Amino acid sequence: MRKRAILGAYVGGDTLAHRLDARVKIALLVMATVAAFAASVPVGLAVVVAGLAAALVASRTSPLTVLRGLRPAAVILGLSVLANAVVLVGQPGLSLDGLARGVTAVARIALVVGFALVLSATTMPTAVATALSQLMAPLARLGAPVGAIATATSVALRFIPLMGSEVERIRCAQRARGAVLDGSLLVTLRGWRQVLVPLVVALLRRADELAEALCDRCYTGEQTSMAEPLRPRDWAALVIGAAWALAAALPLH
Amino acid sequence: MIELRDACFSYDGEKNVLDHVSLSLEGGEHLVLLGRNGSGKSTLGKLLNGSLRPSDGSVLLDGLDVSAAPRANLARATGYVRQDPLSQIVSDLCFDEVAFGPRNLGLPREEVRSRTAETLEACGIADLAQRLTSELSGGQQQLLALAGVLAMRPSHVVLDEADSHLDQATRSLLRAVVRELAPRGTGVLEIAHSGEALLDATRVAVLAGGRVAWEGAPERFLCDPAALAASGLAEDPLTAALARAARDGRRVGREDAADALAPYVEDGATAPERRQTVRLSASGVHVSYGDLPALRGVDFASEGLTLLLGASGSGKTTLARVLAGVLAPDAGEALLDAAPVRPGMVGLSFQRPEDQLFCETVLDDIAYGPRSREMGEGAALDAARAAAARLGVGEGLLDRSPFSLSGGQMRRVALAGVVAARPGAYVFDEPSAGLDAPGRAELVRLVRDLVDGGAAGVVITHDAGEWLDAADDVAFIRDGRVVDVAPADVVRRSPALFEAAGLEPPLLVRARAAREGDAHA
Repeated sequence: MRKRAILGAYVGGDTLAHRLDARVKIALLVMATVAAFAASVPVGLAVVVAGLAAALVASRTSPLTVLRGLRPAAVILGLSVLANAVVLVGQPGLSLDGLARGVTAVARIALVVGFALVLSATTMPTAVATALSQLMAPLARLGAPVGAIATATSVALRFIPLMGSEVERIRCAQRARGAVLDGSLLVTLRGWRQVLVPLVVALLRRADELAEALCDRCYTGEQTSMAEPLRPRDWAALVIGAAWALAAALPLH
Repeated sequence: MIELRDACFSYDGEKNVLDHVSLSLEGGEHLVLLGRNGSGKSTLGKLLNGSLRPSDGSVLLDGLDVSAAPRANLARATGYVRQDPLSQIVSDLCFDEVAFGPRNLGLPREEVRSRTAETLEACGIADLAQRLTSELSGGQQQLLALAGVLAMRPSHVVLDEADSHLDQATRSLLRAVVRELAPRGTGVLEIAHSGEALLDATRVAVLAGGRVAWEGAPERFLCDPAALAASGLAEDPLTAALARAARDGRRVGREDAADALAPYVEDGATAPERRQTVRLSASGVHVSYGDLPALRGVDFASEGLTLLLGASGSGKTTLARVLAGVLAPDAGEALLDAAPVRPGMVGLSFQRPEDQLFCETVLDDIAYGPRSREMGEGAALDAARAAAARLGVGEGLLDRSPFSLSGGQMRRVALAGVVAARPGAYVFDEPSAGLDAPGRAELVRLVRDLVDGGAAGVVITHDAGEWLDAADDVAFIRDGRVVDVAPADVVRRSPALFEAAGLEPPLLVRARAAREGDAHA
């Protein structure tokens, strides 16, 4: 029940970034990724940084969110900076060149993480799934089950929070019966085992019911596509984004 | 019109759950289907929408035999609303959820859009269109599930105990939407466990043991003791009052139900005798989920049997967890007499306790609590056997896997598991949802017994009407605060107390108040 802001989770809002078409946002993320890795130092990279700043403003996302997003990988990123900076061959010591190289590489990764977080904070998971399936729609002509993949993704995404609350309920009920679910590794493992049994039973029951509910509503895999043509604002974002990515990536400076 | 003709169905190929059933559902009628748990009501509903096919006999849609036709023919004709909204919502966004059905029908995009908007409006949830389905309350989710079905414009709708998880206020909203259906020509089959559904019925059918035991007009149903007995509603206080009115030749309608029922409600003023029990209390309890306060300074005490009533989202379930010692509050504490509550000291049972079973045998599961109290293996098994006997779990079941039992048996086993550890107090969170009337009455008796044995009991319920007669006190909770506490025999006839807590008073309570008003006038 206790709700925490989950990293990378959708944050409701009505900013410019929220209103953009999800397909456009995915395309922009792809462009931004290419730009971040192709950008020259320092001018190109500065253009990319400016782009991220614009994206953060347009989505009212705090830069702190990006820093938190990097935390899981902080150790590895830190090590890679060090590994680039420390010279062991010849005269051991610190190499400023290497340090700069490491910092640049980490900066590129941080930028991509930032763009990805802007996408996930402003686009609901199902909207991402729907947009991906719309972008993949041409594959349907080759026989790929694009519609089924989209629905399966959307249902799977719905199950994740359900599973969380189910686990919480089961743990509460078991603890009320005197179960000790946390403690030493052995106790914790045993605790999870006895939570898993009712969890799996409940999930299978739900899955069954949900499958029936899908059939009840005539689901066959074929659905009216709700894809809208892109609006002028979406086209504008695409054009500006493409120009920006080119400016960052092309060695014109 | 949909018609079952001599239909049979069996899940295991041996025992017929439905046994040569013939029943029709016509456009424009509201047929209420009653019967005990396990009498085959849901199975019958599923035959009508094609999710199950009869093993014998046939299903006719507008006179044509569709028993062997593709599933979609019947699914398109009959919408099906289930008990638990979580098992039927497939989308993240409310708008998408309602659009899902029309999209499956292959309607053009513009029509999908207009139907979705129209249906959201008709169900009174137009303002939720762009909200996340997971953010809605249980009641809003159920209205959404109904909208998702109605957007497909089915000619028939099956409501399978669709309102049994809802509080009274949401129930009224749902019923208001459903009441519009029959007059517009939709055939409604409502599977119900309560007398309240009878107020909207144009026809009643009773299933018993897989057969149609009775069928006819609601007034005749109420006057026929055999039909009442077969439906399991004979002891239900609301149904009993409706029956007395019907015998007087009065048809109680939805509009003025409380006044019409006033002369017929029994006072049943024999409040249970108060017993000295343990005291389960909470003082100064604050709990927040992130930035969202759930409880803001709750002081609460239960001696005897206390009902905890509040609208959904008022903090009831959070308080239940604090009282049971499984959720540590941000401030304040829960006490059992003078001792701080630790997990295991207070028995806790949620809605669908049968979902909680996890051991390999029934006996192990029931003995789990006693064993964790370290009373010694022999004593633990004795306690488990005693609890099994008390809940009517037969000796023959003790060595079986709990997962091989029927739903009703599983529930008994789970409750036995809560009772076996002989905790000093109990917290029951929506224990009677989904039970038929005799099952609910049995549960009320069990809880009353536990309290008479010296334990404190707290019951959270949407069905206050059923528990008021057995309770000692009622605490009302609103927006994370206990706003009122009153003796149950006062609450039984005080709609104002419910309203002050943001709740809709149960019909029985309103009828009793109307009667007293008449008496004073």
